[in-house]
Amino acid sequence: MDLDYTRELEVVEGNLRIPEIDRIIARPMDERPGKKYLLALTISTSALLIGALCVGITLFLGIGTWGNNQPVGWAFDITNFVFWIGIGHAGTLISAILFLLRQKWRTGIARFAEAMTIFAVMCAGLFPIIHMGRPWLAGYLTPYPNQHGLWVNFVSPLVWDVFAVSTYFTISLLFWYVGLIPDFAILRDRTVSKIKKTIYSVFSLGWRHSNRHWQHYEKAYIILAGISTPLVLSVHSIVSFDFATSIIPGWHTTIFPPYFVAGAIFSGFAMVVTVMVIVRKVFDMEQIITLNHLDRMNKILLATGMMVGYAYAAEFFMSWYSGVQYERFAFFNRAFGPYAWAYWIMVSCNVFIPQLFWFRKIRRSIPIMFVIVILVNVGMWFERFVIIVTSLHRDFLPSSWGYFKPTLIDLGILLGSFGLFFTLVLLFARTLPVVSMSEVKAVSPNGQPSHNGVHHG
Amino acid sequence: MTDIKEGLNNPENSGLKTQPTYWKSLKQLYNDPEFTEASHHEFKEGVTDDFEVSKLSGLSRRKFLALIGASAALAGAGCSNYRDKGSIIPYNKKPEEIIPGNANYYASFVNSCKCGCGVLIKTREGRPIKVDGNPDHPVSKGKICVKCHASILSLYDPERLSEPVKKSGKNFQKISWNIADSEIRNVFSSIGDKEIAVITHSITSPTTLKVLKNFTNRYPSTKIYSYELFNDELRNSAWRKCYGSGTFPLINWDKAKIILSLEGDFLGTEGNHLENSQLFVKGRDINNPGNFSRLYVVEGNMSLAGMNADYRLRLRPDAQFEFVMSLINEISKKTGYSQIGNYLLPSFAQKYSLSKEVLEHLINDLIDSRGTSIVYAGDTLPEKVHIAVNYLNEILGNKNLYRNEVNVFLYPLSTTNDFKNLISSINDGRVGAVIHFDSNPVYHLPYDLGYSNALKKVETVISLVELENESSVAGKYTLPINHSFECWGDAKTRTGFYLMQQPVISPIHNTRQKEAVFLTWIENEGFEYKENLYHEYLISNWRENIYPTLNAGLPFEQFWLGALHDGVVSINENVATIGSFNTAVLSELNLTTDVSGFAVILKESCTIGDGRFANNGWLQELPHPVTKVTWDNYAAISQTTAKELGVDYNDFIEIEIAGRKVKIPVFIQPGAADKTITIELGYGRTHTGTVGKDVGFNANTLLSSTFNLSPYLYTSAKVTKAGGSFEIVTSQEHHSFDDELIKDAAEKRGIVKEGTIQEYLNNRQFLNEGKEHSLLTMYPDHPYTGLKWGMAIDLNKCISCGQCVVACTSENNIPVVGKDQVKRGREMHWIRVDRYYSGSIDEPMVSNQVMLCQHCDNAPCENVCPVVATTHSPDGLNQMVYNRCVGTRYCSNNCPYKVRRFNYYNFRDHFDDAYQLDNLFNLVYNPEVTVRSRGVMEKCTFCIQRIMESRETAIKENSELKGSDVKTACQEACPTSAIIFGDINDKESEISKYRNHELGYHVLEELNVRPNVTYLAKLRNTKEKA
Repeated sequence: MDLDYTRELEVVEGNLRIPEIDRIIARPMDERPGKKYLLALTISTSALLIGALCVGITLFLGIGTWGNNQPVGWAFDITNFVFWIGIGHAGTLISAILFLLRQKWRTGIARFAEAMTIFAVMCAGLFPIIHMGRPWLAGYLTPYPNQHGLWVNFVSPLVWDVFAVSTYFTISLLFWYVGLIPDFAILRDRTVSKIKKTIYSVFSLGWRHSNRHWQHYEKAYIILAGISTPLVLSVHSIVSFDFATSIIPGWHTTIFPPYFVAGAIFSGFAMVVTVMVIVRKVFDMEQIITLNHLDRMNKILLATGMMVGYAYAAEFFMSWYSGVQYERFAFFNRAFGPYAWAYWIMVSCNVFIPQLFWFRKIRRSIPIMFVIVILVNVGMWFERFVIIVTSLHRDFLPSSWGYFKPTLIDLGILLGSFGLFFTLVLLFARTLPVVSMSEVKAVSPNGQPSHNGVHHG
Repeated sequence: MTDIKEGLNNPENSGLKTQPTYWKSLKQLYNDPEFTEASHHEFKEGVTDDFEVSKLSGLSRRKFLALIGASAALAGAGCSNYRDKGSIIPYNKKPEEIIPGNANYYASFVNSCKCGCGVLIKTREGRPIKVDGNPDHPVSKGKICVKCHASILSLYDPERLSEPVKKSGKNFQKISWNIADSEIRNVFSSIGDKEIAVITHSITSPTTLKVLKNFTNRYPSTKIYSYELFNDELRNSAWRKCYGSGTFPLINWDKAKIILSLEGDFLGTEGNHLENSQLFVKGRDINNPGNFSRLYVVEGNMSLAGMNADYRLRLRPDAQFEFVMSLINEISKKTGYSQIGNYLLPSFAQKYSLSKEVLEHLINDLIDSRGTSIVYAGDTLPEKVHIAVNYLNEILGNKNLYRNEVNVFLYPLSTTNDFKNLISSINDGRVGAVIHFDSNPVYHLPYDLGYSNALKKVETVISLVELENESSVAGKYTLPINHSFECWGDAKTRTGFYLMQQPVISPIHNTRQKEAVFLTWIENEGFEYKENLYHEYLISNWRENIYPTLNAGLPFEQFWLGALHDGVVSINENVATIGSFNTAVLSELNLTTDVSGFAVILKESCTIGDGRFANNGWLQELPHPVTKVTWDNYAAISQTTAKELGVDYNDFIEIEIAGRKVKIPVFIQPGAADKTITIELGYGRTHTGTVGKDVGFNANTLLSSTFNLSPYLYTSAKVTKAGGSFEIVTSQEHHSFDDELIKDAAEKRGIVKEGTIQEYLNNRQFLNEGKEHSLLTMYPDHPYTGLKWGMAIDLNKCISCGQCVVACTSENNIPVVGKDQVKRGREMHWIRVDRYYSGSIDEPMVSNQVMLCQHCDNAPCENVCPVVATTHSPDGLNQMVYNRCVGTRYCSNNCPYKVRRFNYYNFRDHFDDAYQLDNLFNLVYNPEVTVRSRGVMEKCTFCIQRIMESRETAIKENSELKGSDVKTACQEACPTSAIIFGDINDKESEISKYRNHELGYHVLEELNVRPNVTYLAKLRNTKEKA
């Protein structure tokens, strides 16, 4: 293919007409779900139910049903938490930062990515609560005035987490919803069902596509994007403080905040690609979510993957350079100790395999890309596992060293979190426009004034 | 309402003419008379009827309030609090000595403990809750063994037998004591000349002995058999062969400069190990570094003594005889005694590849310290080794280290022949009844005697036991007896004193004291049992027989109460002096053993003894002092042997000695001699409570009545890999000795710091050399005005016995979590004894370290807790607020010492079907310490309840609280006083001296967490620089 850099690539392919775009995007909501959809929903809800059962067992019997022990106080629980928070970051990056940077290609994927952010944060938010020994006292983590004169410990990163995650969730939800308002109005105008009309009317907040509405909307949207932007960096930085501010070798590292953010974007994009590849196929949106989108996302994956790889190397260098024997041991133990298998899964999936994205063909090959992003998801999960478990299992005193082995309940809850995520994603795909109709129309060739309906580009 | 509205509606009334006219209804608008009439009344007709005071119900205000109060109370009582599992009723009539909230202590002793430790039992409101040592006890001096500590748990064992039972068919049926007594009495009366065999453990009580004698008088066909699975009969018989009479005397360990222990665990399980260790550490006083003793240990398996040795040689136990003889010859050569046989040390050393250097040091030391050295041979060694050792001590002139005190045996232990005769009598039908007098011969006696089969032929088998056991289930009657703490008694275990026992609680179940049961049987039919039967008997025995011999100079009543109060009656007793050595015995000194095969040593369990304590969860969960194994026994073998057998940790091997077999998993013990297998007995119980049943493997099957060397040592065992494996769990991982990454980690990290005496004497500051500048912090320091609590642990004195762990368990209500949870690394002990090996796996050096919460000044756990559940007190304690804890476990993750413990379950209901939730079991809890529930973090509190108690006392007495007023449970329990606790700010205190000692260091000092536990570096008394 000869490349012409003088011309922007078209964001929406196939010279779709405006109503055609509406029709394509709204189709999943208009039609009855097919067998494939129902099968997918069955699988994901089954996973969700298994997870719910395992959470129920945990709440009934205690954390003892997990594999956690002394010294590994955190294992799958916080691994899952950090993993899901990380997944969310791609959504915010795409919708907020790319919006501010006027990356038009984001429109095709922003809505979905934002939805994934919200669902991922919901999955993530579950873990800090269920990982507590006494989850019914979770309220103690919020600073509310009480007659006991008790207050939270603002020095503890876990309290920062509470604020970071709840802020993140709130802002993401608002941002998502504000973006949805014009689309709700379009849906309201299109639908013939009375019930749907009522619902869409309520959520569209009386949107009439008026110029004033658009003016306010654009302002609100850009302000929310502005608020969201620092969150992309801050939330995972704060999550990383859980580890960075501790004294455990392998955790006590200043590189953690940027490393975690890069890792979060890396894993988030991997998850977005994973889901997008399926969605564009299932809902026939290849023209809106184009191969160019995927290509660009794969480039980001390549870049962030190398950032993560750099962080791995830097950690090793610093542990050697510091001369602190505990640090040296911790990293040596990661690579060659009892959890070496986890470490090498992490390095292979996150650093080596994404190197394939240097090749344009691979970046644009759906099956290969799909396998790679799945492996990146696996690798990023293991990254958190490696950080948390291998640092804890052998710390200062050899007498207290131990080994963590997950139980079925651990695995069940992990499965359940994926079940929750995909159930929400599937329900979302049928109930709300998975691509922003108004934004796509704005960037589609026919969205711009043109002579004789001929597109100039 | 109406009238106001009306007022507004009427412009005349309101005076507001401009006011528009409002109307509420058409009736009002048209001024309907009915409405007008109604509007004149404030309330609608009938509405106020009930408010007529006279018509009100007769309920007065007081009555109303009373009823409200009562119904609130009823609702409160009806909707009972789920935490409230009972009611608290104040004393109707308060016993004089009980002040609620204050503990009472009673002196007593524990029956089943061999050491005869004197105990003080702490009771609260009449409920015994903890066992401490009796400081007046002349031997143990306020210290007790782990079994005594844990015996309080056995008192509340929910599975203790509560009623007499009789076998009918295959099951046992409850019967009443009266019926049991009369049935049994009938059997005895009609027994004729058939034997009544009474089988008991060793008899330590003179009054019990008298009861048995009375019983024998009443039923003349009675014979008494006494046995002890672990005894030092061989040592004593060797002694008699050497010196004519008496028993092996006690040793002045403190006066010994050089100690050579051969296969002898004198600090762990043998003899008066509590006293031994107290005396031993007198030679480990850092304030007197020139006076350190040197301990050589030559042994086949790593023992407690071996861990504490300055020099340790590994040698299979069946070569010990040759070793002693070679040693004798080598020393004789240098000191002018004649040679015995052709045992030569150099060739011996060659054969067993013993370090020539160490042997040279040993020979020189023994010769140089003649008169102040001691050679000690372990219980497991053959008689001939003991004879040789006696001779060696003789030629080294070490006899003056023998003390003028001996252990006393009131009744001789029965010999193997006695039991053989008993069994053949049974087989011939000449035995009418067998009484198991608190004993378990089916489990303990060598199986080749065939006791258990013979027992089936006895018509009447009566077992007097606390818990069901292997012997009681084989019998007809099982009669439940009192626990030690429900018993009266006396004991004489060694010269110089009597021990007194008094009950501290009335029998919890329908049990009787075993002596009282015998006294009932002595009486004729119709005799009514009274609870004070044995009490009175004991008093009268003392009044008539013992008291007159004591010249107490006090009226008996006064003497008696004083004796009970003290728990000890000291007497003057002369011990026959040691005679001269019978050199004729030297001609016996030849013993050839086949050292080509496997040697098997059977040892007493460090925790559960000979199996009597198998149902005690505290002891089962106490990690083995050396291997840190909990809940199991195993075959300890060396790595080389394991490789030869093709087995690894946990793999089954089968051991066969002349047809006697056991299948048992392997544990690779660093420092074990090759081709030597060490197994601890007491496990594999098939009939006991839930806790002890089927725990470990019954290696009693290897015991033989016809042994060549000793009952505990067998040679030429056949060992094969048996296939399959069994998971043995330890509280501490075993690490590879070859992995450069983790080899000697504890030393490299400076967790254990050690040196040699020489190093220390040359440079007292050797430990602090090269120490970096003091660490800085950006936060202001806590001021700590007033008291500041701190602890010091002297690693020179700590022998790692684990008493502190059990004492802490008892004091702080620490749950038993069970094997499955220890496997998952969730044991709850607040204090642990860490063991580190260094060097090679064959010749390891062992370092031990007691680890508990360090109560850091800059505690890393405190700042990470999101809910401030762990805080710092003004007196330097790191505190845990259970009620606030939500269980994030962040504190534990951030603790560099990993001393925090998380309640992963409600362990009290997790372990074996709520065993620990039993109402009876709950009585063991210390009421001063919160019982923690699921999801809460916990850790050592420095026994804050004791600090608070002392503070209250100080306030009451209007005095200053001093650091020395408080003793933590671990400190109190430590037999060697290695733990020191007190006020660091008090510059005069012992603790502050230790804290500022040049050997003092903090673990992980470089993290600047500023711990408040100071460790005193261990000094090894080796010759060269270590």
